[in-house]
Amino acid sequence: MNWFKRSFIIILLVAFVFTVYKGLSIVPGSMKQKYEITVVIKSMEPSMEFWQVLIDGVEVAAKEFDVNVTVTGPPNESEIDEQIRILDEAIQTSPDAIVMAATDYNRLVPSAITAKEKGISLITIDSGINSEVADSFIATDNFEAGRKAGKAMADLLEAKDKVAIISFVQGTATQIDRESGVLSSLEEAGITVIDTYYSDGVEGKAYQITKELSEKHSDLRGIVGLNETSTVGAGKAIRDLKLAGQIQLIGFDSSIDEVKLLEEGVMQATIVQKPFNMGYLGIKTAVEVLRKEKIPDIIDTGSVIISKQNMYTNENQKLLFPFVEK
Amino acid sequence: MKLLRFNSIQSNIAAVFAFLIVLTAVVISISSYQLSSIAARKTAQEYTTELIKQLNLNIQTYITNMENISMLVMNNRNVREFLTAQNTLNAEEISDFLQSISVSRKDISSINLFSEEGHWISDRKDAQLNPNITVEELSWYRDAAVANGEIVISSSQVQPIFQEYPWVVSLSREIRSPGSNQTLGILLVDMNFNVLNDIFDQFDIGKRGYVFIVDQRGNIVYHPQQQLIYSNLKEERIDEVLKDQSGSFITDEGGQSRMYSIQDTGFGWKIVGVSYLNELVSNKREMQISFLALGLISLILALGVSFFLSRKLTRPIKQLQEHMKEVEKGNFDIQVPLDHTREIGRLARTFNMMVVRIKELMSQVVKEQEFKRKSEISALQAQINPHFLYNTLDSIVWMAEAKKSEEVVLMTSALARLFRSSISKGQELVSIQTEVEHITNYLTIQQMRYRDKLAFHIDVAPSILNYLTLKILLQPLVENAIYHGIKNKFGVGIITIRGHEYQDDVLFEVIDNGVGMDDKTIARILSNQATTERRGMGVANVNERIQLFFGNKFGLNYTSELDVGTTVSIRIPKIGPDAIEQWEREE
Repeated sequence: MNWFKRSFIIILLVAFVFTVYKGLSIVPGSMKQKYEITVVIKSMEPSMEFWQVLIDGVEVAAKEFDVNVTVTGPPNESEIDEQIRILDEAIQTSPDAIVMAATDYNRLVPSAITAKEKGISLITIDSGINSEVADSFIATDNFEAGRKAGKAMADLLEAKDKVAIISFVQGTATQIDRESGVLSSLEEAGITVIDTYYSDGVEGKAYQITKELSEKHSDLRGIVGLNETSTVGAGKAIRDLKLAGQIQLIGFDSSIDEVKLLEEGVMQATIVQKPFNMGYLGIKTAVEVLRKEKIPDIIDTGSVIISKQNMYTNENQKLLFPFVEK
Repeated sequence: MKLLRFNSIQSNIAAVFAFLIVLTAVVISISSYQLSSIAARKTAQEYTTELIKQLNLNIQTYITNMENISMLVMNNRNVREFLTAQNTLNAEEISDFLQSISVSRKDISSINLFSEEGHWISDRKDAQLNPNITVEELSWYRDAAVANGEIVISSSQVQPIFQEYPWVVSLSREIRSPGSNQTLGILLVDMNFNVLNDIFDQFDIGKRGYVFIVDQRGNIVYHPQQQLIYSNLKEERIDEVLKDQSGSFITDEGGQSRMYSIQDTGFGWKIVGVSYLNELVSNKREMQISFLALGLISLILALGVSFFLSRKLTRPIKQLQEHMKEVEKGNFDIQVPLDHTREIGRLARTFNMMVVRIKELMSQVVKEQEFKRKSEISALQAQINPHFLYNTLDSIVWMAEAKKSEEVVLMTSALARLFRSSISKGQELVSIQTEVEHITNYLTIQQMRYRDKLAFHIDVAPSILNYLTLKILLQPLVENAIYHGIKNKFGVGIITIRGHEYQDDVLFEVIDNGVGMDDKTIARILSNQATTERRGMGVANVNERIQLFFGNKFGLNYTSELDVGTTVSIRIPKIGPDAIEQWEREE
C-alpha cells in the first residue's frame, strides 16, 4: 500500500515536472533560434542592379525560410582586401552559414577555409573560389551562357565571317568560361574569330577597341561583348560609326544603354543572368545544408537570351528591367 | 503484482474507472483540440479574407482616383478642343494642365494624350518619345482602342515610350467625340508601380504568407516571387485563381497546404492572399503538446483515482473475506467490525449473525451427540439391568431348588430370547416386531417372578409390526409400571401394551392398574433430574431418546390417577423398514 502510494505520487510528480518543462520549452521552442546567415556580395553600391536584385532574392528567401539574413560587402567589386576583411569580420560573429560571391578566385580561399573550420556552412554564389571547401556553388553556367551568345551570333552570320570578342578582365573565371563558351559555338559554326580583346571593364576602352577593329578589319561582321561595359562600349562605337547591321553585336547583361542599343537595332541580343534566383537559391541551399539535406555541388541558375522581339514579354521584362524597390 | 490480476473486484473496478476516465479525457481532448484548431483556423481565414478585402478596397480607391483624374483630363475644355480640332494650338496650356495634376502626385509617372492624327501631348515638357518604338503597337494602346471607351488597366509593365523604362501600371482610355462615337485619341495615365508595390509589400499574412495580383489574362501584376515563377522554381496556381470569381480554396500539399483568398477588384485584377495552413494555426504544435500533456495527466490521475476508489470500495469486502478465511480455518470467535457502507454493513452483520448461529449450532450438536452417547449407554444399562438379571437368576435358582424344572426352562429360554432380541447388531432402530418380542420376553420373566401378582396383555396391530422403533423403548416403561404401580398394589396388577397407528404416527400405550402417580411424581420421572432414583432415569431417558431421534413433537405422555392406574402413551413416527438407512445415517 505504502509502496504503491509512494510510486503513485512519484509518477504524478514526474508528470507534473514533465508538463511544466514541456510548457516552458514550447514557448522558446516555437521561437527557436533562427538560422543566422551572412551574405557577402561583391558590391553594395545601390546602382549595381545585379546585386540589388540578388539582395531581393535573398530577402524573399529569408522570409520564406524564416532565417535571419545580414547582407554585407565592399562598396565596389574591385575592393578585394575590403571583402576579405568583411568576410573575416562576418566569421567572427559565427553565423550558421555564409553565402558569398567572391571578388577574387584565389585570395578569399584562406578566409573561406577558416569559416569552414569554425563549422560555418559556406555557399558560394555568382563567382566561386579556388577551393573545394564550399558546400555548394550557385551561379550562372557561364560556359553555357557563352555558348548561347556564340550560337546567337552564328545564327546571324555565315561561315568564314569574322568575329571579335571583347572581354573584360583577363583571367577571371567568369570571363574564361564565357569566352570558351562563345568560342566553342562559333567554331562549330565555322566562324572565324579574329581575337579576344580586353576592355578591363571600361566602356571607353571597349569603344576604342571597336573603332580600331572596324578600321583594321573592314570585313568584321560581328562582336561579342562578354560583359555590360564591353558590350555598351562596342555598341556605342557601332552606332557612332553607323555600322549597325553591318557589324552584329551580341552582348551580356542588361542596362538602359543596352536596352537602347537593342531597340535601335545596334545590338541583336543580350544574355542576361538571373541574380534574383541566385540570391534566393543561395539562401535556400544554405538552409538545406543546415538542415543536413542533400544538395548538389553546383547549381546553375541559368541565363536567357533576349532580343528586340522578346524584350517586352512578361518574363523578360523582369530580367531586362530589374524592378528594384527604392 | 496482485493489482494486475483482473479477477478481483478491485482491479475490475479500477480498470472500468480508468477506462471511463481515459475515454472521457481522450474524447474531450481530441474534440476540444479539433474545435479549437477549427476555431483558430476559421479566425485566421476570416482575418486573411478581411485583410485582402482591405487591400482590395485600397486598390479600388486608388484606381478610382486615377479614373477620376482621367475624367478630369477628358473633360478639360482645352483637351476636348485639341482632340476635336486636332490641332496643337493649345498644346502648351494642356501640358501645363497635365503637369499641374501629376506634379502633386508622385504616384503618377506620366500623363499623355495621343490624338488620332498622331499628335502627342505629355505632362513632361522636355520629354522625347522613344524613336525606336511605335506607340500604336504597345499593348495599352491596342487594348484601349478596342475597349469602346472603357478604361483599360494594364498589368505591371515597363513603359518604353520615354527611354526611361519605368515600371508602371497603365490606365489607358479611348476618347471619342460625344455625338458620333468617332475615335479622337487615347489618354494614357501611367502610375508608378513603386507606389502599388509598397502597398502590397505592407501586407504580411503570417510569416510566410504573401499577396499576389493577377490580371484577367493571368499575367502577374505583382508577386513577391515573380522571378522564381518565371524560372519555374516556384509554381503559382494562377489558373485556379482565374477560375474562381471571389472566395477561397485550399490546396492539398500536406504540411505545405495553402489557403488562397481571392478578391476581384472589379477592373480585371484579382487580389490573392496566400497563407500557409500550418501557420494559420500558429500554435498548433503547442496546442498538440498541451493537449497531449493534459491527456497524460488525466491518464495518471485516472489510474490513481481509480485505484484508490476501487480500493476504498473493496476494502470492506476484503476485510470480510479475511474474516471469512479465519472462520474457514475454524475460528468462530470472530466479529467483523461494522462498516459505514450500508450494503457491506448489512453483509457484515448477517455474517456475524451467521457465525454466532453456527457457533451455537455446533455446540448444540456437540451436546446432543454427547447426550446421545450417554443415553445409549443408559439404554444399554437398562437392557442389562444388573438388578433385573440378578433377580431373574435368583428366581431361576429358587425354581431349580424347588425342582420346577419346566418353569426353569421357560424362564431361562425367555431370558435368552430377551438378550438375543436386544443384541440387534448394534443398531439403534429395530422393527416393532422385535421390540414386541423383547417386551413379551421381559414380561414373561417378570410374570414368572411375580406370579399371581402380575398379568399382561399385549395387543399390537399387525399392520405396524414392520415399522421401526427405537430399541428398548418399552422395557423401561414397563419396568417403571411394575416397580411403581404394580409392586405396591394390593392384588393382581395388569399391564396392557397396545400399539396401533394413530393419525400419521405410531402410538404405543403402556397401561397399568397400579397405584398411580401424582403429577409431581410424573414430572419427576420425566425430568432428567430424576437421577437419584435409578429407575426413573430410564423413563426420562426414553423420552429424550425419542425426542432426539424423532424431534420434539414425539415422546411420552403420562396420564395417571391414584389408585386407578397409569397410562403412558409413546408416540413415534411411522418409519418403514426402507427408511432405516436414512435414520441410521442421520444419527
